[in-house]
Amino acid sequence: MFARLANGNVAPNRVIEGQATNLSRTMHGIAYDDVNDEIVIPVALSGAILTFKGDAKGEVPPIRAIQGTRTRLVRPHTVAVDNVNNEILTADPSSRAVMIFDRRANGNVAPKRVISGENTGLLDIVGVAADPLRNVIVAASRKGAEGPTGIFVFDRLANGDVKPKAYIGGPNSKLAHFRQVTIDPETGNIFLAQQNTRMKRPEAYVLDKPREGAGGRNLNDDEDSDEAGDRMDRMGFIAVYAPDDNGDIPPRAIIKGPGVRLAGAAGVALVPKKKEIVAVGGNGFQTFLLPDFFQVFKRPPTSSASKQK
Amino acid sequence: MRRIFLSMAAAAVLVLVTGVQTPRATEPGEAANARVSIDELTAEDCLGDAEMMAELQQQFVEGGVIGGDWPKGAIGGVLPPLRSVYDPFPTFDGIALDTDNDRVIMSDENRHALLVYDRAAGSFSNDVTEPVQYIFGPKALLGYIAGVEVDPPRKEFYTVNNDGGDRLVVFDYGMGSGNLQPRRTLSLPHQSWDVSLARTRDEIAVSVQQSNAISIFKRAATNRDAPIRTIRGLATELEDPHGVFFDEKHNEIITANHGNWTQIRPYTPFDPLVTDVGEYKSGAFHPSSITFHGADANGNVPPVRTIEGNLTGLNWPMGIDVDLTHDEIAVANYGDSSVRVFARAGRGNEQPTRVIRGAATQIVGPVSVAVDVKNDEIWVANYGDHTAVVFPRTANGNVRPKRIVRNAPVNTPTCGFTNASAAAYDSKRDAILVPN
Repeated sequence: MFARLANGNVAPNRVIEGQATNLSRTMHGIAYDDVNDEIVIPVALSGAILTFKGDAKGEVPPIRAIQGTRTRLVRPHTVAVDNVNNEILTADPSSRAVMIFDRRANGNVAPKRVISGENTGLLDIVGVAADPLRNVIVAASRKGAEGPTGIFVFDRLANGDVKPKAYIGGPNSKLAHFRQVTIDPETGNIFLAQQNTRMKRPEAYVLDKPREGAGGRNLNDDEDSDEAGDRMDRMGFIAVYAPDDNGDIPPRAIIKGPGVRLAGAAGVALVPKKKEIVAVGGNGFQTFLLPDFFQVFKRPPTSSASKQK
Repeated sequence: MRRIFLSMAAAAVLVLVTGVQTPRATEPGEAANARVSIDELTAEDCLGDAEMMAELQQQFVEGGVIGGDWPKGAIGGVLPPLRSVYDPFPTFDGIALDTDNDRVIMSDENRHALLVYDRAAGSFSNDVTEPVQYIFGPKALLGYIAGVEVDPPRKEFYTVNNDGGDRLVVFDYGMGSGNLQPRRTLSLPHQSWDVSLARTRDEIAVSVQQSNAISIFKRAATNRDAPIRTIRGLATELEDPHGVFFDEKHNEIITANHGNWTQIRPYTPFDPLVTDVGEYKSGAFHPSSITFHGADANGNVPPVRTIEGNLTGLNWPMGIDVDLTHDEIAVANYGDSSVRVFARAGRGNEQPTRVIRGAATQIVGPVSVAVDVKNDEIWVANYGDHTAVVFPRTANGNVRPKRIVRNAPVNTPTCGFTNASAAAYDSKRDAILVPN
């Protein structure tokens, strides 16, 4: 935990870590519940969702843990809290699902709803956010080279193998290798952190087995080019969309360039009162002051919208 | 030397932005003369300097999404941050000790570099310690690297990309320093963490966190060569494995486990949508442990013995080393910033024979440890501080190190996280939360 005004090479002013916390050193998501003053964290390597007191510090146990056979959790990656409807949302790329739990759930508890299946378009779900005011759930999901890869908007009470009510993705969107998504509660604007404009390459292994079909590809041929222009072209960004956006459209607003962790951002958090956007990636984070990004966008998208393919 | 690290810090900025090469290749000992072209852009807090960011933007605004042509009509663009939190200095992670050639190799997860020091390096100076060799830059294929191993007769050293590359990369002492291609690479499962060499068997053992597995390869395996055997499955008691040691003398593979377990399934965007996966076993939290498997174990094989329990004090054990002369296992115990030494033949809920811990030790978030039997020393690489600390081999308690290797000036803070994927804002405390 860092002070919002932290700047430069500074140590955190608070850390939660150690065996008793049940955390691991592999965590890809975090949410803060400002109504209940709680921190919620998915633990990918233990198939669990942990909740800590807002002021937790040091080697302290969580106050609640969702884990067990009823949960269907395998490798929860990202998390969000809907404190209006008292729900925790998580996305699990191994389960290929968005799962919604009661916020107060503790122990081996089944999810209230699960959004998963062919119709949803979801696969490698790396971001999830809730907008209780507009009654939607937003998921960021990636699927191979053919997609669909982008932002999926579902009705808040969606359950099962249902189609999204909106989808932002396609070549004009440049959405590819992204992660966290979040929503400005006042405007409903959707903020997404993208690390790279090129789709993540297949991993060499499927778990502990070499991936079939990769042939005799020379690993070195598969590496990023050192050419400056090539790298620049792939750099990620923070993209902002209006709540009703749909189709193969570019973002309404963007932060790009060296400022976004220099190469791309994996996470994004908002400080709405201060009109600040925090982009985290790699080994640091940057804060941008951008009041215009917290406005209601009136301009329609510049490219023709298209429905999910 | 301070200039080199500052230069490397600045070079990291440039590499991330443009892929421009880092310092030219140099021979060991020549590193002090290495320069990069953007020295003048570097400040003590190089990434917190908005002027530098603006200058970088001026230099590199051509091409791609950064160029300003896309997205048309959108607000924003190439923008300097208001504030920036980043540690421009290396953080030590893995360590390997070569007493034949008097070298110590450490991985730098923060800056994606390998740093090679003289075995006798370190002092009580407040200044940074000069490496005799460093590997750094995009050609080196170093991502979020972790464990390190060394092969003294071949003068080769290895490291494992835990994330950002999924491969083992091999370098040697004769390559010099700079942005250099590895001698060879080997594709590994994602989240591989440590590597240990069995010289007589000519094999290497690699720990894999998310698969809860140890994969064994031929030493000289390259490219996409498959493992020759893998220890994996519920019976193995491998649970978020980190440090691994291939003990050829006793025909055992020794592994430090954090205790996290889940039945990982394919998850990438290139794997199919499969919802019916058969029997589902839920995730679990187990105590940290040290497991011992037979050297020829293959498949879902239980350990021959385990050190585990409250008396052990194990708490997120990271790297391990085995002293085969004195029959001891040294463990970098990250969770309580200690080094714990156990009898090699120990089992069950056993107390360590020695614990190095306390403010005087300057052990802060240790990630790896190396025992030097020849010189009767023990090395500890700190992730939570910009140091590696060296003790007498039999040190015990809250004792001062005998010397310190620094990768940043004394009292330089470190942000304490690498490879972060998310953030949240705590409105009650006006704080930014970042999971590691």
